[in-house]
Amino acid sequence: MTIFSSLVRAGLVGLLAVQIVGTANAQADFEGIWTPQHPPRMGQPDPATVRLTPAGQVEFEAFSPEKDPTLRCLMPGIPLGLVDPYPIEIVQQDHQILILYEHFHQVRRIFMDGREAPDHWLPSLIGYSTGHWEGETLVIRTTHLSPDNYMWTAGYPFSGDENTYVIERWSRDGDILSFTGEVHDPIYYEEPYVVNGQWSFAPDGEIWEYECIPEFGGIELPEE
Amino acid sequence: MNMIKPGITLACTLLLSGLPAVAHHSGAAYFELDVDIEHTNATVVSYDIVNPHGRLAYTFTDEDGNEVEWSGELASANNLRRRGLGGEIFKPGDQLALVVGNPSRSGANFSRLTRVEFANGDIAQLTGRNTGITRADAE
Repeated sequence: MTIFSSLVRAGLVGLLAVQIVGTANAQADFEGIWTPQHPPRMGQPDPATVRLTPAGQVEFEAFSPEKDPTLRCLMPGIPLGLVDPYPIEIVQQDHQILILYEHFHQVRRIFMDGREAPDHWLPSLIGYSTGHWEGETLVIRTTHLSPDNYMWTAGYPFSGDENTYVIERWSRDGDILSFTGEVHDPIYYEEPYVVNGQWSFAPDGEIWEYECIPEFGGIELPEE
Repeated sequence: MNMIKPGITLACTLLLSGLPAVAHHSGAAYFELDVDIEHTNATVVSYDIVNPHGRLAYTFTDEDGNEVEWSGELASANNLRRRGLGGEIFKPGDQLALVVGNPSRSGANFSRLTRVEFANGDIAQLTGRNTGITRADAE
């Protein structure tokens, strides 16, 4: 083998390696402030398509507004807070992506460095999120979710069972950022509950403070 | 005057539209969204621009001649401000020609406010795509 052919071979191998690594690391730029532009019903599924299990139906019929954490000035968390009528800001770092919600100052950390949830991590409203890129699509998996939450308005329940999880797929098309979220809750749903969100890029947008006063939750429970 | 006007109304349309000015939670759980309740010749008591929901309190004279107080839920403070409904849009003592809302399922003097018409002709749309203030002298 001549020196020339060795150099050519080494160059081809190098190019292939760069291409493989490049594909694995492909990512999109989500940085910045985004203003909500959600689909009808705030991106929630048509109720006719939601298939509750018998246990889920019982919870649905027993719904009480007290289950809504936001009316007690707690952040909506996941899955309830996946879509809200407020701006968000996204910060991309090497090891994590931050989603900063105006709504209740909710902060999500999407760990991108391959770590897994530590053993001591407790169920919480925000859970534990890890992500990776599939081309230019950000795929987020969230686990460790709290049973002190619910899926969405009108009483759709969320069990918070240890086997529940959410898969989100985020992508950007020009100035539009959108995601589809699949909430997997086999205790209450026969099939994943699917929610969609969409925002438009707002380079001049602002994230405001969201102070909250529980007395103004607006709940007037039906009389017994 | 205290009238209840049943029917499929603007409120239902707005519920289904999922627009940014709607409350985060479903009003259907707490309010009769297919019912409009209207109060006329009301006087503003207070206007609280807070999260998670603003609130407007007002009095009016009912059919029996008694002064009664009601209050209504509004969008969040942040959404009210973004739609130009912050500041002193409603001040104590303001005269309101008409207050429209969806009554609470609890039976309390409480509603989800949808529209207010001021005595001077200004109109505050409080839910939906056109949420905001329309000044009578701007037309």
